Amino acid sequence: MSASTIILIVNIALAVVLAVALTPLFVWWERRISGFIQDRSGPNRCHIGPFRLGGIIQSFADMLKLVFKEDFTPSHIKYKFFFTIAPAIVFFCSFLTFAVIPFSDVLVIDGQKHIMQAIPNELGIMWFLAFAGLSVYGIILGGYSSGSKYGLLGSIRASAQVISYEAAMALAIISMLISYGSIHLTDIVNAQAGTYFGVIPMWGIFIQPLAAIIFIVCAFAEANRAPFDLAEGESELVAGYHTEYSAMKFGLFQVGEYSAMSASSAIIVTLFFGGYQLPWLDTQAIQSNINYIIVAIIILLPLKVYFLTKWMKKNNKAIGLDKSRQKETKILTIAFWSIAFFIVASLVAFLITGLGSNGVNIATAILQIGTFLVKFFMMAFVYIWVRWTVLRFRYDQLQMLGWKVLIPLALLNIVITAIFVVVRGN
Amino acid sequence: MGIKVVPRYGKSFKDKLYLPAIAGGMKTTFKHFIKNLKDIDNLKTMHYPEVQPDDLNERYRGVHRLTKHENGTEKCVACFMCATACPANCIFIEAEERFDGIDEKRPKEFKIDLLECVFCGYCVEACPCDAIRMDTGIFSFVASRREDFLLDKKALMANERSKDLNNG
Repeated sequence: MSASTIILIVNIALAVVLAVALTPLFVWWERRISGFIQDRSGPNRCHIGPFRLGGIIQSFADMLKLVFKEDFTPSHIKYKFFFTIAPAIVFFCSFLTFAVIPFSDVLVIDGQKHIMQAIPNELGIMWFLAFAGLSVYGIILGGYSSGSKYGLLGSIRASAQVISYEAAMALAIISMLISYGSIHLTDIVNAQAGTYFGVIPMWGIFIQPLAAIIFIVCAFAEANRAPFDLAEGESELVAGYHTEYSAMKFGLFQVGEYSAMSASSAIIVTLFFGGYQLPWLDTQAIQSNINYIIVAIIILLPLKVYFLTKWMKKNNKAIGLDKSRQKETKILTIAFWSIAFFIVASLVAFLITGLGSNGVNIATAILQIGTFLVKFFMMAFVYIWVRWTVLRFRYDQLQMLGWKVLIPLALLNIVITAIFVVVRGN
Repeated sequence: MGIKVVPRYGKSFKDKLYLPAIAGGMKTTFKHFIKNLKDIDNLKTMHYPEVQPDDLNERYRGVHRLTKHENGTEKCVACFMCATACPANCIFIEAEERFDGIDEKRPKEFKIDLLECVFCGYCVEACPCDAIRMDTGIFSFVASRREDFLLDKKALMANERSKDLNNG
């Protein structure tokens, strides 16, 4: 197998894992984080043997339940084909959005360049806009073919919301494109390398704070997350567009919703938070200082594992007579330490033998993927955090915000950016 | 009576921006999140089946019990006051004559159907002899058959005052 095939497979696997396989993890995060925010525990009972893993087993149990439930289609539904295909559209569009996210800088193996994207093209932001907009068709189709007023109202809301927020989002992106000068996301991320005054990293949010705020707000609306989840406002619409769905069709809507969340947090990270760029270290700096970075990892990793295991020992303790949590803590502590020792040992081996030029490139790519993942998970946390803080908008307030505030602001931002670029003569 | 002027919010530029208010709210939720993540003991909830609530008070109405004399016999004189007061008609008493000199009458059988009972406490109010009380502190009575919910005299006399309450 040639190097390019392996890289392609790795990229596709990364995209699939980030877009789809993380859904149980995010459902678990959602429930535990909301629990902690509201001073309660959240799901922590479900277990396999002594392993609860903080309750993540609950998500897998829920998933199994959805898979094995009866797939029920109400008899009043006229267009069974559209009814069935709607969740698949939502799912695939959210999933395909991930195809253009660069996980690391262009990887050079034996002089051959590989773009680190699941689908190596240079459409970048256009692909994202296309598929983010398309996924709402699944919601509209699902609500419309449900043949119930709740589903229809939910999908009407979803489409009106997307129409009003897609415009502001695209306008915010245009001002970003003016300052970056490219639609290819790898170029955009590379433009965010370097610093201002040697301290502030040159991220999109510092170049264009207004565009960042507009885009983040619109991305929340686009992903149908709170405070913009009017399409499934359960207090007035039962469950909105997925009222009539059950079993894995409902599960696909759920997965689609979470992969939309993943995709928009990935695109926010890529556009405004420096993507895969390690702060203060661009690709060349990493490649020339790879040995120091490896030493830093060797020092930092055991420290992190030490604090993690200490925290686990403190919080995963026996309750009453049930000693299984202590047992789990012991097993997990041993597991974490052995993984850490394995990684440290292999890094020391790399230090001793030295990495070839291919090795340095691969190590840089892995480091950048790690950076991207850390930023990505932090953004996903922000999504969940906002959902459990901010109240849902009223419908007229939502439209008011979209048309009367965000679009004029985005237009103003374009004008300011254009004037700045023209005056600076760049 | 003075007039209380309620301040109206939402007109100033800062309020119209929304973002400072949202940031404030997010700060609050994040504080709660970090506090609970650092130490799970800060959670306001308890791990129920393992940890039982310990804040029962004197007014809490749990499963009934029949109180006893010093010598361990029942105080109940089978006057049927509780059964009369019961709005759910869940108390079934069968009376007999009593010969040990303490009282003249005693219940031969005293049954309470907990599936019918609404735990209103009227039986306790009605009793002239302080013979029935609801201070056992038992708040979760479970059984697998309907018949098991019909508590008889033996079961009711076996219940004791909750240990969480003071001796009164």
